[in-house]
Amino acid sequence: MFHVAKATFIRNTRVMIRAYPWSFVIGHIFSGVYTVLFAFFAYHYVFAGQLDENFAHLTGSSDYLSYAILGGAFYAFAVSTLMNVSRSLITELREGTLEAVLLTPSLRRGYFLGNVAQQLMRTLFEFSVIVLVGALFGLTLSHTNVWSAVLVWILSTGAFFCQALVLGSLMLWFRDTYITQNTLFAVMAFVSGVTFPIPYLPEWVQPLGLIMPLAPALDAFRQCVIQGAPLHAVSPQLFHMAALSLIYLVIGVWGIRRMEKRVMESIFG
Amino acid sequence: MKQLGSLLLAEIIKEHRHSFHSKMIYFSLLVWPVINFVTAYYSFAPFRMGADSPLARFISYEQLPLFLLTGYLGYIFYWCLVQSSWQMSFERQAGTMEMIFISPVNRLAFLYGRSLSSLIEGVWLFFCFVLLALFFVDGIQLSGWWAPPLAFLILLVSAIVWGGFLCVLFLFSRDSSFLYTVLDEPMLIFSGVRLPPMAFPVWAKVISFCFPLTYALQLIRELLMEGASLQTMLPSMGLLAAVLLVLVTATVVLLKQAEKHMKKTGNMVMY
Repeated sequence: MFHVAKATFIRNTRVMIRAYPWSFVIGHIFSGVYTVLFAFFAYHYVFAGQLDENFAHLTGSSDYLSYAILGGAFYAFAVSTLMNVSRSLITELREGTLEAVLLTPSLRRGYFLGNVAQQLMRTLFEFSVIVLVGALFGLTLSHTNVWSAVLVWILSTGAFFCQALVLGSLMLWFRDTYITQNTLFAVMAFVSGVTFPIPYLPEWVQPLGLIMPLAPALDAFRQCVIQGAPLHAVSPQLFHMAALSLIYLVIGVWGIRRMEKRVMESIFG
Repeated sequence: MKQLGSLLLAEIIKEHRHSFHSKMIYFSLLVWPVINFVTAYYSFAPFRMGADSPLARFISYEQLPLFLLTGYLGYIFYWCLVQSSWQMSFERQAGTMEMIFISPVNRLAFLYGRSLSSLIEGVWLFFCFVLLALFFVDGIQLSGWWAPPLAFLILLVSAIVWGGFLCVLFLFSRDSSFLYTVLDEPMLIFSGVRLPPMAFPVWAKVISFCFPLTYALQLIRELLMEGASLQTMLPSMGLLAAVLLVLVTATVVLLKQAEKHMKKTGNMVMY
């Protein structure tokens, strides 16, 4: 299994460096940086640093800039993970290598593991860059509880991976990456509390945030970074995330298997 | 001239068929803008609002939804074009770019036809949305009955020119999603779609002057929100016209360059 994972990792890295040197990495970094910029401009130049009274009460701190910057960075990280893992199979399909992937006796688990490992390397890089830029624009990291933040980050990767499996099977179903992924990302940005706390939304929209792993992940991550909360303080969010991951994993594995059969019959049959 | 017209039409029909193969497309045209607009609106929630909010230095509190709405309307216009020019790289991947450049088609007609195609479909949907929203949003001050059509015309012309310019940029590389990111989202931030550009620090203002959307939005808002007269709008109109002229010139020059480059490298399909 690890042989397969390693080979996939090396291959994907090569493809990334040779064929698509710029696109996605730079893209995700930029979109994170734009969120940072928006928060910075709005806070300093348009609203002169004046916040709504409820904000501190809802988020536990009055540090809007850290709140929004972490939101932007984490959202970019979520999008990046979701996108690359879920697109892996359909990219194989488009580049004509899916047949080879399906024919080999190597373990599919290894293939996905390699994908995720390569992912982690990329998202870590993207995330660090965005946080660095954020630090220039007013992100404070002085209270951070580093270990719990890192752990939340790793667990979130797992959760997004499970969600990506579902998204990936949907993509194979529709044979489209563009519309499915962007619809999901737009909804995610709206309901998961990326740039504003969820309670500001109308009540009937709020439950949508419950099915997105991004919402609890972001909440836990912010508490660890802004307030330095220890891991046990964010356990409800972690359980929420674990439950979601499990549900997505079951649906995703089933979906991917179904789709593989369908692709076999419809394309190579 | 007749030939040009038929070329334009052919390109529009081709692109339309190419991108409207499924009902799902309507998602990207109506649902995304609506979700993005609502998200943008709620992004202001953490700040202090009301009559005495610092926001009032730039926009009155009642006009904020309208401000965002006009901003997003302009942005959608432009975004549709960025979309269709971004599809240019698919021509490369599909290998049809070669055929286009081998044929004696007028290149400019091809570019602008491309821009036009996505505009028509992208806009009418959002237009319905805006018209509906305008009935529910207050704070509208029209310059006259001719303000909405004029606003539409300003957006249309400037967006087509911008789209043509982007198409040419995308001629240079197969991997264009990078350019897309660089050109699409800064437009949201710097052109005053979500925040008034007047509030920005100087360095950001300089960036916002690079986007034609900034000038177009300024005009649209004068027309629909301030009820400005034609005389007062002349300077901003002149500015927009100058910017568009520069863009068209750049498009023509770059197009010649791109074709030369392709002929030299013999490479219209690969990277």
